[in-house]
Amino acid sequence: MSEVVAWFGDPANWQGPTGVPTRLWEHVWISAVSVATAMLVGLPIGLWTGHTGKGANLAMNLANIGRAIPSYAILVMVLPISLALAPRLGYSPNLGLSFIPTFTAMVLLAIPPILVNTHAGLQAVDRDLIEASRAMGLKESQILRRIEVPLSLGVIVGGFRTAVLNVIATATIGAIVSFGGLGRYIIDGRLRGIAGIPELIAGAILVTILAVGVDLVLGILQKRITPRGVRVVTGHPEIIEPAPI
Amino acid sequence: MKINRVLAVGVSLLLAAAACGGGGGAKPEVRIGSDNFYESVLMAEIYAQVLENDGYTVTRSFRLGSRQERAPAFTDGQVDLVPEYVGSGLGFYDATLVTGDGATNRELLQEEVADLATVFGITPGEDTNAGVVRTDTATELGLASMSDLAAVQDQLRWGLPPDCDENPLCKGALEEYGITYPPAQRESLAACDVPIAEALNGDAIDFAWLCSTQPAIAQYGFVVLSDDLDLQPADNIAPMVRNDYLETVGDADAFQALLDAASALMTTDELTRLGVEIAVDQREVDEVAMEWLTENGLLTAE
Repeated sequence: MSEVVAWFGDPANWQGPTGVPTRLWEHVWISAVSVATAMLVGLPIGLWTGHTGKGANLAMNLANIGRAIPSYAILVMVLPISLALAPRLGYSPNLGLSFIPTFTAMVLLAIPPILVNTHAGLQAVDRDLIEASRAMGLKESQILRRIEVPLSLGVIVGGFRTAVLNVIATATIGAIVSFGGLGRYIIDGRLRGIAGIPELIAGAILVTILAVGVDLVLGILQKRITPRGVRVVTGHPEIIEPAPI
Repeated sequence: MKINRVLAVGVSLLLAAAACGGGGGAKPEVRIGSDNFYESVLMAEIYAQVLENDGYTVTRSFRLGSRQERAPAFTDGQVDLVPEYVGSGLGFYDATLVTGDGATNRELLQEEVADLATVFGITPGEDTNAGVVRTDTATELGLASMSDLAAVQDQLRWGLPPDCDENPLCKGALEEYGITYPPAQRESLAACDVPIAEALNGDAIDFAWLCSTQPAIAQYGFVVLSDDLDLQPADNIAPMVRNDYLETVGDADAFQALLDAASALMTTDELTRLGVEIAVDQREVDEVAMEWLTENGLLTAE
């Protein structure tokens, strides 16, 4: 354990292209880009299937396949394809080696919770409420925007949170294909054998701190944007917030 | 007194049971382990089948992990026999001792593990670290040996393992060959792994550290640069057997002779060829092992 503390205390580990700030930035960057892309894909599909109830089975099953294939397998499967496509599509082979496989694996990891939660959140909205809105003359897009999305926002953000947490923890495997990020410490530490164990543990600690820290922030955010009427309040009855009428 | 009598009865019963089970000689069950990659599994399977053919019962505990995980399993007595690479195996105990000669490495490894195990005879075939380039790079730049690299080092994108900095066989060897370390264009990829071979084939790097029997070399037609300064350790393979197990075998010399006969026929070419059958053609290891043993007349009945 003292060796792990020594690792954190070594200034060499805090500067340059292999230092913690650089690795942390790479990690945050790939996680953000992957989850943002997954939102662009998962959110509209989830809103569509959740609102209409159409295509839900297909979408959920596809999403679950994405969830079932290990990210490592996706990484290794994408690698030869992204390398082979590099000369044909004119991107740098280095992108094909490290960024594209990592990015693909992370997007496929992040889509299922976003899609499934969005769908489930919308489906959970009281049918009577939607029928009543329809009877009052609200258009479908208005029902979606004014009734369904606000009421299920907590659940949707919950899916986003799960996606972020999964991606931050799993983006470590990018190091296998020469991508940076905090996974470098874990993968490199392992390859260095017994001498690399402090580095490996330090890497795991850094990833945990990042994942838990980001999750805490998102948890606060989730609480704040959930409409008060659908909040689950625990504790003493006298502090239950009254639902707005 | 009473305890002694009970013990005596127990021991004689055990001896009787052992004598009955062996059919002529005591043949105690042998637990064979291996590392988690195809070549180690193949050698373990070959040794397993040779012993089974001779009437031993074999329990297979293959794919225990890398040496770091497998070595403790062997030391703690969870397995009795493992195929070991004599160069890297020696390096695990003391990296400074490793030489370029397989027989010497075997002897030194035997000294290191003398209290625990016996290292049997080595295969003539060896699996060493190999600097590898694509055919087009080799033709274009006229590369045949590691020494040819120095002159063109700045034109190359290097795929090097992340632990290269601390590894005398990597950084040290490259510097011996006149390469300024670290090279300007470098990707961190584990040696002998799938991604580094894919990266070389896919033109993301121009130089890769592979293992000399790695199927990707044959599969993609890579050029192995000769280690003209003989810097890489000789990694011949040998069965390493726990001494406490050997003591339970009636005739330890006969036991060793069985396995040595198989090891003696395993050349580098054969290792590579069988590796391609397993890793590229996706054939079952036990089938490949049995076929090879049969071809070489090692599975004949006693």
